[in-house]
Amino acid sequence: MPEASDRADKQLGATMAAGAFQKEWFAKLRRRVFDNREPYALVQADVPFELFDLVGIPAVSNQWWAAIVAAKRQAPAYLDAMDADGHHDGLCRYCSLGYASTRYCDVQQPPWGGLPTPKLLCARLTCDCIHRVFSLWAEAFGSELFEIDHPGAGDLPPRWWELGRHRWRELVEPHRLAFVVSTLERLVERLEAISGRQLDRGALRQRLESVNQQEEVFDSVRRLIATAPETPVRMTEQISNVMATQWVRGTEWALAHARAFHDEVKHRVEKGIAACPGEQARLMWVGAGLWHDTDFYTAFEESHRAVFVWSMYLAFGPDGYIRYGLDDPMAALASRTASFNEYLHNPPWAAEWIVQQARDHRIDGALVLRPRSMKPAGTGRLFIERALEEAGIAVLPIEGDVVDARAWDAAAARAAVKSFLETRVIRR
Amino acid sequence: MTTNAIVRDSSRLNAVISWPAVPIEIVRAAGLRPIFVRGGPGGTATTPMADEHLEPGIFPSRLRYLVDAALSGRLDNAACIIVPRTSDPDYKTFLYLREFVRRGIARSLPPTILFDLLQSEGPDVRAYDAARMRVLFDELASVAGRQLSLDDLRQEIVHTNAARSAVRRLAALRKPVPRINGVEVLPLLSAFWQLPPNDYVSLATGAADEIAQRPPIERPRVMLAGAPVDGTALHAAIESHGAIVVEEVGPWGSGAAGDDVDCVGDPLLALADKYRRDAIGPRTPIGALRNSIVRMLDGIDAVVVSLPPEDTVFGWDYPALRDLLQARRIPHVCLHGDPCQPLNSADHARLETLTGATAAVGEAGHA
Repeated sequence: MPEASDRADKQLGATMAAGAFQKEWFAKLRRRVFDNREPYALVQADVPFELFDLVGIPAVSNQWWAAIVAAKRQAPAYLDAMDADGHHDGLCRYCSLGYASTRYCDVQQPPWGGLPTPKLLCARLTCDCIHRVFSLWAEAFGSELFEIDHPGAGDLPPRWWELGRHRWRELVEPHRLAFVVSTLERLVERLEAISGRQLDRGALRQRLESVNQQEEVFDSVRRLIATAPETPVRMTEQISNVMATQWVRGTEWALAHARAFHDEVKHRVEKGIAACPGEQARLMWVGAGLWHDTDFYTAFEESHRAVFVWSMYLAFGPDGYIRYGLDDPMAALASRTASFNEYLHNPPWAAEWIVQQARDHRIDGALVLRPRSMKPAGTGRLFIERALEEAGIAVLPIEGDVVDARAWDAAAARAAVKSFLETRVIRR
Repeated sequence: MTTNAIVRDSSRLNAVISWPAVPIEIVRAAGLRPIFVRGGPGGTATTPMADEHLEPGIFPSRLRYLVDAALSGRLDNAACIIVPRTSDPDYKTFLYLREFVRRGIARSLPPTILFDLLQSEGPDVRAYDAARMRVLFDELASVAGRQLSLDDLRQEIVHTNAARSAVRRLAALRKPVPRINGVEVLPLLSAFWQLPPNDYVSLATGAADEIAQRPPIERPRVMLAGAPVDGTALHAAIESHGAIVVEEVGPWGSGAAGDDVDCVGDPLLALADKYRRDAIGPRTPIGALRNSIVRMLDGIDAVVVSLPPEDTVFGWDYPALRDLLQARRIPHVCLHGDPCQPLNSADHARLETLTGATAAVGEAGHA
């Protein structure tokens, strides 16, 4: 995610720092690429960024870039161009908006000067469309594409987050783990050839240890938010701070920023400072963020004292990334990569985790995204909605697209939420 | 055989399969009968139990029927359900079926097997697929309660290769000179997946002998591209406008058989290579699909591109396909409905325009 919308109030200093860092990071990347002709990589959010950084190849996340384009209100023009070129409206817009900003770059000037030509694109083949989108994008740039295939899981432990930290070898079947390790080793070979630098395995272990420390800090933030009488930090600012660090996770800056964020949240808790004083309803957002309308998430504070407390972005850090026992760091990294975002969408994993999170965070109501075009991310939704309702948590499905604002009726969505709050959530 | 007929016939020997990317050679070697779930021609049936649990617009008709049959107990007597990892909706169906059992939504299901066939082009994929082929071989032997040897499998490959040859002979009667229309030939071709090979050879050879005697059909020759169709409804609609479907992208028509499987060396590796390369679906690599479409376009007068509501993949290929067709002056039309359902009047009008344009081009060419 980019920084929270410029129009949304920022309550934390850390949020401003995170936004400034990202902008400067991207400007520096452009200077390195254009002035020094250094390579960089354009990657899906779920590939192991650590490997790229450790051989000196900065990696830009497709989802981060899409969110930037959407937050700058530039998505409609690119998506119109994509439609005009014959792509039907059922195709995923989130993963392809970045491609559209390259392929149809003549329709408008992209944010921050646009993406330079990457040396390499890298994607994990989660959804069926990823191979297509990244192949077309690589063609548009004239760049190489490296794919990490996605074997399907046959063993399905429902409470996956209880295995991920210490028993990650049990979480991923041995044949899948071996496959991903071998693919990552090939990726390393390719990255070493591009950069001319060898991957230092000791440095990889240290980086993963730093990632663990960073996510432990986020775990502590999560506990602060879950247990404070009123939530001390808005969901949008959680996301801004978490994602700015996740894209460069385990680096010195990331760890320092995570700690600064933590300390500021802790200070607010200790001083009794709430994001929405007089909190009446605690909400969770299930799904990717509405990047084109992040103001949506603060729209019910004044009218209903309803505050978004939870999204997957902070919570998934500690549960999805921490791996203890780093004797074989590549295997540990592969165990994170092998199933990664499946836990967020698919049965049995997603519903079990989200209900647990809702209980931990004392959630009163859940808004569940029904994505218009991200069809694979739309699966598992009915299991999640029913599991939440069975747990006594009211659910409101929200139909929308995370980057495509063209069919989004902001007023109607807000009216639906207000009605939901008044009829199902806030007990007067 | 329609899906409803399939499920009524379920018996302890039936292996119910969601998509033809599962090696029927292994299924048959285990003594099981492959039964493929399809969206048509019984596509007008309702799926109320599946609709309660499957999100709309994501799962194609065939998977809705599979889930509906599973939830209503119509698959209880099947030997197993096999779902290949060759599309996201198939994989999600596997996860859902397992979840139905875990949550008690389904009373019971036969063993539900994920066949984890990968189709990307990395060097690690070949060994992975061969290993998964071995696992499937062992799992099906266990399901069937049989001891299986690689020689059993080799024998089945030989029989199936004979059936592949019969498919190719039938397909040759569609192009370049069509002697049979698409509605008639598609069931003959797709029966390859379900009939015992020897029976299929006998049926297909007899049919081919008879069809070869027919006069050529002189109508605009249409190819079906986009998302593979698994029934004849779209063929029938196109042919009702005076054209003839002579080619389709997908595993049910002329592409059902592909090349023979080598059975001299390791049969599991040979099957892994064959199915990774030839299985047509959303995870077929873009380059491989483009190349095969270029080959298929020879002798084609018009193309109908089916991009149904649940499509997440083939729409990405469309602009390049459109440019290719324009460069070769082949008219085309896109249809966005469910190919298992009757076409609406607007789509019929598009087909009428397409076949009219094709006929005009043909006449100009002959003049």
